[in-house]
Amino acid sequence: MVFITGGAYQGKRDCAKEKYGLRDEDIFTCTADSAPDWDSRCIEHLERYALYCVKNGLPIEDRSRDDAVLIGDDIFCGVVPIDVTERTWREETGRFYGRLSQRAASVYRLFCGLALQLK
Amino acid sequence: MNVFFSGGCKNGKSTLAERTVKALAGGDPLYYIATMIPHDEEDRIRIRRHVASRDGMGFITLEQGTDVARCLDRADPQGSFLLDSVTALLSNEMFLPDGGYDPDAGERAAAELRELAARAKNVVFVSDFIYADSGLYDSYTETYRRALALCDRTLAEICDTVVEVVSTNPVVYKGVLPL
Repeated sequence: MVFITGGAYQGKRDCAKEKYGLRDEDIFTCTADSAPDWDSRCIEHLERYALYCVKNGLPIEDRSRDDAVLIGDDIFCGVVPIDVTERTWREETGRFYGRLSQRAASVYRLFCGLALQLK
Repeated sequence: MNVFFSGGCKNGKSTLAERTVKALAGGDPLYYIATMIPHDEEDRIRIRRHVASRDGMGFITLEQGTDVARCLDRADPQGSFLLDSVTALLSNEMFLPDGGYDPDAGERAAAELRELAARAKNVVFVSDFIYADSGLYDSYTETYRRALALCDRTLAEICDTVVEVVSTNPVVYKGVLPL
């Protein structure tokens, strides 16, 4: 599994497509209303899946395939949110990404379209 | 040579950018592209403070709040230019003085930045990394963030050197920092 993170609009999806030969139809885009299709080759916006779990009191799981490319926005560098749900979401997403990074064979961080390999 | 700096606020981007543009210029003309368009006395005071802080650094100031490549009409393209910041330039392009709003400002600003980089000998660009918080913004702010990312990614693609500044330390993503 590969984990790609970085701020909003930094080119994470383009990086996944280019490095792993993915097409748009290979990419599942999470919403804050349901769990992803874990059979997908690539799953993006995992921070939204984490929000779905936090809002519904569910554990944040990783049931992705061995060859999955997982993508999540870095949402961690702002002011601590006042709203308890947003605050919990931010914290739980951070822990979730830590678990993904541990499992991943490679981790990338995107900065202005450029990929820095962290692992 | 073109160099792009970004990073969080108060991390030392401007200081590193000033050092870089001076190193690139050698003895050639050194230009500061001033992007702020004053709207009130508070802005004018801020500008006077910035002008005073650049005093003695050898910069020729070019005021250019929009259409940034036009500053080359009254400068030597063989000189070296500091544009601080892309963020302010895009604000001027997107949020108009009459209260209007141009959602296509990102494409226009990116094209102007591309032209400036292509025509001038050396340009050092400074932008702001505003993409890594959990804030849920209104559509104007989100459009602005997307547009700034377009400018940043355009510059990161065409610049020889791309640097993130973290607590005054450069993290080089591309090329070599000429210091």
